[in-house]
Amino acid sequence: MASSVPVAVRADDGPSSARTGRPRRSWVARSRPWLLLAPGLAVLAVLMLWPLLRVFLFSLQDYGLPQIVSGEPNWIGLGNFAEVLTSEQLWSVVLPNTIGFAVLAVSATVAFGTAVAVLLASLGTAWRAVVSSCIMAAWAMPAVTGTYVWVWIFDADRGVFNHVLQSLGLQDAPVNWFTDRWSFYAIVLLNIVHHGFPFVTVTVLAALLGVPRELIEAAEIDGAGGWRRFFSIIVPQLRQVFAVVIIMSTIWDFKVFAQVFLMPGGAGTNREVLNLGVWSYVESFGQNRYGFGAAIAVLLTLMLLAITVVYVRTILKEEEL
Amino acid sequence: MSVLSVRRPTPRAQVGKAVAVVALLVFTLFPAYWMLVSAFDAKAGLGTSFVPAEPTVEHFRFVLTEGGFDVFLRNSAVVALVTVLVSAVLALLASVAVARFRFRLRTQILLMILVVQMVPLEALVIPLFVQVRNLQLLETLLGLIVVYVALALPFGIWMLRGFVAAVPVELEEAAYIDGASWGRMFRSILLPLVAPGLVATSIFSFITAWNEFLFAMTLLGGATENYTVAIGLRSFFGQFSNEWGAIMAASTLITVPVMVFFILVQRRLAAGLTSGAVKG
Repeated sequence: MASSVPVAVRADDGPSSARTGRPRRSWVARSRPWLLLAPGLAVLAVLMLWPLLRVFLFSLQDYGLPQIVSGEPNWIGLGNFAEVLTSEQLWSVVLPNTIGFAVLAVSATVAFGTAVAVLLASLGTAWRAVVSSCIMAAWAMPAVTGTYVWVWIFDADRGVFNHVLQSLGLQDAPVNWFTDRWSFYAIVLLNIVHHGFPFVTVTVLAALLGVPRELIEAAEIDGAGGWRRFFSIIVPQLRQVFAVVIIMSTIWDFKVFAQVFLMPGGAGTNREVLNLGVWSYVESFGQNRYGFGAAIAVLLTLMLLAITVVYVRTILKEEEL
Repeated sequence: MSVLSVRRPTPRAQVGKAVAVVALLVFTLFPAYWMLVSAFDAKAGLGTSFVPAEPTVEHFRFVLTEGGFDVFLRNSAVVALVTVLVSAVLALLASVAVARFRFRLRTQILLMILVVQMVPLEALVIPLFVQVRNLQLLETLLGLIVVYVALALPFGIWMLRGFVAAVPVELEEAAYIDGASWGRMFRSILLPLVAPGLVATSIFSFITAWNEFLFAMTLLGGATENYTVAIGLRSFFGQFSNEWGAIMAASTLITVPVMVFFILVQRRLAAGLTSGAVKG
């Protein structure tokens, strides 16, 4: 619980009250933080918290176009959740595509990002600056255009990937990489790692450069090899940083939407490649089953909330809010 | 000299490192490079050439005239700029409150701001679609702006809070001793000192609004004249064949401002305006 006692000389005390200990503050001064917060909180309440409550309320209804038009509720209890949780689609396709993919994507992103950070840390200052700037370009690429570029690279008819494979004699005819569930998600994985590793690299690099040189030096004199130094000295020092990086990546990779939706067949026509977010959207806006879509969205939100709780606890360990 | 080792690297290690750097650069830059090559190539996709086989700016001319991308760019610019202005003001006020005051429920509000950033857009899009529809703002830029302000706000508050907290309290106290009111102190001391943070936060809001795809697609529906760049791109996808040269030219137009801003943010974040201000 935050205390209402000012910790230092607070702005709202004024110079005179600072000396008299517990200040007798005016009503304006006491309500100043709330006046400052009011516009922002109002926006968040109307456009974030209320919709969040509402998506939960929708998930308990058979909510379709008639309900949207009339505004009348149509309660069906937990029917939508029962349908989602007993659906073959959820267990055989959607959950593996969401959780399995997130696990794979996070491991790949964090491993690759860390490897690049170690590589950058071993470079001279000038080269480090040049390579970091290039990495920024991968980060800055918007998800939408980035996805289209990957689709173009792997395009079945004229994509450069098929061209190169064919001119190398590795395949006879062009292959459509988007129809198969595995190759589809391999491309999504490539896209996500490419877009996500710069964040890991930049964060881990900053922490790496802060590890005391004496530790490394001592370990090296004691005869510890490169891998040993990395896992026994560096990783324990960077535990907190890795925790934050892993959790943030997990949250992002659970929410992959545009990267799947914009791929050929990703917008619902290929039922094999649906993940939770796309499934929710396709059921809502494609089939007008807003209640059912809301139930899927609630499940996704609950999963993310669980990860967020871990994240918040990690942060609270590190700093006082 | 390496950070992870104090010994001089062997020549073999040096070569290995060089190879790794080249491979890394090829991997990171290839998509952007390929986008540019295809955008400037009249024969995009007809051969395996890794440089434009027939250099041209025809694709850009096409997307900016017949393709209607001039309108999409203008829409996106309007949406992003208004989002930036509104969210910057709201975020600044709120961040001062949480960084400079101790009050009841402060921790809870901070946690709430942290948690709402994790909420998936797919969960918000259903109720917000209904809400915007009830306000009769579907297919308008205003409806989109209202949503984007809310999306940009939590991160803005979170980020600005750090910048506000970094301004030494001593500077504020000095202002009070000189007889300034709270409002005067805010305008003359706090605002100029958090300006770099405000710029960085604004650029992040700009990028959020510029790149956003899900809400633009859902709220704008069939109102092509109000499309933003992110969904305008889809109009180049034909039913049977895709205009890849045009798609890559349009993608280039979308990506370049974002990349420029990203580089700007990098510099701004490092700028320490307050360092040394107290020592004077």
